[in-house]
Amino acid sequence: MKLGLAIDLDTCVGCHACAVACKQWNGESLMGGAPDYDPYGRAPSGAWYNRIRQYELEGDPSFSPHGCATTHQPLSKTINVPMSCMHCEEAHCVTVCPTGASYKRAEDGIVLVDPDRCMGCNYCAWACPYGARELDENKGVMKKCTLCVDRIYDQQLPKAERQPACVLACPTHARHFGDYDDPASNVSKLAAERGRQDMLGDLGYKPINAYLSMRKPVQVDAIPLRQGLSDKAKAFVNRLIQL
Amino acid sequence: MKPAFSVIFFTVASGAGLGLMIWLLVASMMSAHIRMPQTTFITGAIVAGLLITAGLCSSTLHLANRKNAIYSLTRFKTSWLSREGVFALALYPAAALHIWLLSSGASIAMLKLTSIILIVLALLILFCTGMIYACLKTIPRWNTWHTPTKYVLFGLMSGAVLFIAVLSARPAEIGAMGRPWVAIFLLLAGLILYVAYLLNHPRKTYTVNDALGLKRGNVRLLDVGHAHGTFLTNEFGFQLARERARVLRWIAIVLGFVLPLILMFFNSMPPFAAAVSCIAGLLVERWLFFAEAEHVVRLYHGQQRV
Repeated sequence: MKLGLAIDLDTCVGCHACAVACKQWNGESLMGGAPDYDPYGRAPSGAWYNRIRQYELEGDPSFSPHGCATTHQPLSKTINVPMSCMHCEEAHCVTVCPTGASYKRAEDGIVLVDPDRCMGCNYCAWACPYGARELDENKGVMKKCTLCVDRIYDQQLPKAERQPACVLACPTHARHFGDYDDPASNVSKLAAERGRQDMLGDLGYKPINAYLSMRKPVQVDAIPLRQGLSDKAKAFVNRLIQL
Repeated sequence: MKPAFSVIFFTVASGAGLGLMIWLLVASMMSAHIRMPQTTFITGAIVAGLLITAGLCSSTLHLANRKNAIYSLTRFKTSWLSREGVFALALYPAAALHIWLLSSGASIAMLKLTSIILIVLALLILFCTGMIYACLKTIPRWNTWHTPTKYVLFGLMSGAVLFIAVLSARPAEIGAMGRPWVAIFLLLAGLILYVAYLLNHPRKTYTVNDALGLKRGNVRLLDVGHAHGTFLTNEFGFQLARERARVLRWIAIVLGFVLPLILMFFNSMPPFAAAVSCIAGLLVERWLFFAEAEHVVRLYHGQQRV
């Protein structure tokens, strides 16, 4: 199995509900939780397994129905990008770990940290291009998204709830969870149909999570204007009025 | 990257200590050509041992969970950090064996063998330290052949300068010394490598477009999603003012290479001046090595290019 998420960049509204749900679930979980530092003080900070950033894209004509975007006429598009661990196939964070605390499970491809072995050297965070790993300063061990490994296999939960907390919380259904090894799974189908954003693919980490590309507007062919005698007369009158 | 002093001190101090150890062993193997009294060798060995040990102890200071550090020797097959730890720990029994052979008056052949083992181990540690940084594809400035070359060469270089300082500490026993050509040659090589690196450093670059897979158009950050600093901004967000970097580079060039070169060439100066200057320069150089490195995660935090 290659478990992972599919995140729809078209429908994500950037509400941070996934991050809050993640924080809530993992704050109470067996994996030790994501700590907060100074949460109600002047400098609130903490470890989050999921962070949402908002970007603006301008000047890409493929997002304009008439292909008209230029630098003079910017077509601005806002994209919300939630980022958590991609559970990469070539997870370099696991390779560089000197203690063996970071590991990738053979059975489902989830990348996890064993807090009983981690020595908090931050080397895996250096190796991660996506900023998925954050140090728990209270316990001195590295923390990261577990793909809610303590939820998805929990037989006590109803079947529909055996999904990561972020997926269940998303109000716009921008997040999907499934097995990328199975071509018939919802995430495989979505990734095939919509295409994946190639995020730092040159590094060769082969992320499993897919960011579904934004849909392009249908390109409309401009209909040539028919310029009959009456149109010319109207145009002449309009110009007269505007004098 | 955040320039953590513990790691900067570790790389410079154990680099210089390992270099000093290498040159002491080379000199003791060439006893027909280099006159080195026993006391000088012992002084040098103590200095080297102290530098290496202080560096290694310092390297554990940045660990957030030191009690699990012992596990760091278990991933020799995959992790350069693990390899470095294993070689560094192997150095101590090898050095103890060498000292025991020395004191029990073993044959020259045995001493040569342990010397060569120690030299190879020291070179391996220097190379592994370089590869810890060079293997990270996420930091394009480090991910070049320059990094391991620099760690090995600068280690040998600062070791050679220290070795001359140790030799000339007791001028009466050594007698007249010629120009220390090995140290001069290594300083020149180091100077050329560092200046060439500053002038032109071919590396991969990544843009914010690569980071988000949006190949066309301009992308800019609207909202970073956190109110205060995070682990990521703290660890990777270090900003170095260009003017300050320029000044520090000149300090590194002058203190680390040019001044020791001059002092070595006209070897009439106090013996430790060149070594102190070289190590101070290398500390500045190593600080810059970390402060100037840009991690690709900065692209997600609003930087346009790394």
